[in-house]
Amino acid sequence: MIVEGAPIGADTSVDATLREVGEALCRRFVELLPVTGVSMSIIGGTGQSTIGASDPVSARLEELQFELGEGPHWQVLSTGRPVLASDLQAEHSQWPIFGASALELRVGALFSLPLVMGAVTVGVVDMYRSVPGMLGAGMVARALSLATSTAGVALRLAAQSANEDALIAGMMAPEMRREVHQATGMVLAQLGTTATEAFSRLQAYAFSNGQTVQYVANEVVMRRLSFRDLTE
Amino acid sequence: MNEVAREVRLNAAFVKLADTLVADYDVIDLLHTLMEECIGLFDIQAGGLMLANTLGTLELVASTSERADFVEVMQLAAGAGPCIDCFSTGKAVAVADIEATATKWPEFRDAALKQGFHSVHATPLRLREQTIGTMNLFGTRSEALSPTDADAAQALADVATIGILQERLIRESDIVTEQLQHALDSRILIEQAKGVLSETGSMDMDEAFTALRSYARSHNLSLRTVAEGITSRSLDVFGTDTVRSTTTK
Repeated sequence: MIVEGAPIGADTSVDATLREVGEALCRRFVELLPVTGVSMSIIGGTGQSTIGASDPVSARLEELQFELGEGPHWQVLSTGRPVLASDLQAEHSQWPIFGASALELRVGALFSLPLVMGAVTVGVVDMYRSVPGMLGAGMVARALSLATSTAGVALRLAAQSANEDALIAGMMAPEMRREVHQATGMVLAQLGTTATEAFSRLQAYAFSNGQTVQYVANEVVMRRLSFRDLTE
Repeated sequence: MNEVAREVRLNAAFVKLADTLVADYDVIDLLHTLMEECIGLFDIQAGGLMLANTLGTLELVASTSERADFVEVMQLAAGAGPCIDCFSTGKAVAVADIEATATKWPEFRDAALKQGFHSVHATPLRLREQTIGTMNLFGTRSEALSPTDADAAQALADVATIGILQERLIRESDIVTEQLQHALDSRILIEQAKGVLSETGSMDMDEAFTALRSYARSHNLSLRTVAEGITSRSLDVFGTDTVRSTTTK
């Protein structure tokens, strides 16, 4: 159950490795939804990174999609919308190579959802089921809500993997600070782009300048930095 | 305010809040309305309502001011201060004199005093044994809320809880998190939309929020819907207004 039990990410401190936390985030989906396995990835300043998988098949499915550059994962990233393939046997031809490889792994159904933070897609949750079958409307709603509540934690985890000590400064996770969301909106308007693109530009700028996203966001909100003036 | 006038006003506040609970209401707008009502009802000068996210961290979802320095005070209060104490104990925390708290919450104390706040009253948003957030009222005088006022604040907080969770859905325990998450994510979307408006309209974040809210109200749309339109650039708040003012000439 979601409400009871310890809040997720509560033990991100010393002992638990990042990988374990990532796996725990994935297992939550397996516990609460009729799926066999789950993997999760985040788009950061340096590109995408997998933050966890609940089992070897999920990990392999994610790996295959990264290697092949095709699959529901990429579809979610480009559209920001869920992909629900409830019978892979019937639907695998839309991803010729990945589809065939997934069938070989005895995958019956694939469901991929965006991890969203407001208007920004920050990553993807890839789920599979060993037997075909639809996710009902209620389960889709639950899955989307789980994805939304996981986005911030997953993003923080990915940032932590990239630069371990940059994080645990203070109670407030950087992605929760209002300035980051406000700056995303400002950059969106400055570049005439999407929220997702604006947020990755913020992250990439922070990464390449060795600054935190929070710091860069503050510069943008204070109007000391405009992405309008930056060349690609 | 005398007792009778106050009673009338308190009742009016409940009715106003109850109205917003009908059908397709806007939860963020409801919470803003609630905070604004508190300023009239109690001897306080500012207020903020915080909800817990998946991590159990409190996030500000509605406040009487969107100004960065006030938001900062709220965030400090949620890190080490009266809000987090109220949230973790599930009990109201009354601080009649913030200055007298000395070293208990030094960062919160300094920031609050700098903003001219001398008292704070944090009321839990409770659903049965679970606390989902806190409603925090700040005063510029060092004086506690009267017991009657504290009770009224709790009653308003209870209405807010129902508003957030929608009574008819709370029997399903996992829905609680979904409703909360929806409110928290709406807030993120609103911040992103404020950024867009601030950039395109050359205004500060406070003005951007006011512009967003007035547009939502005058077009009978939810704050979330307007924010979605702004961030996907399918809605031009300023453009539409220009068109309207020229056509009505």
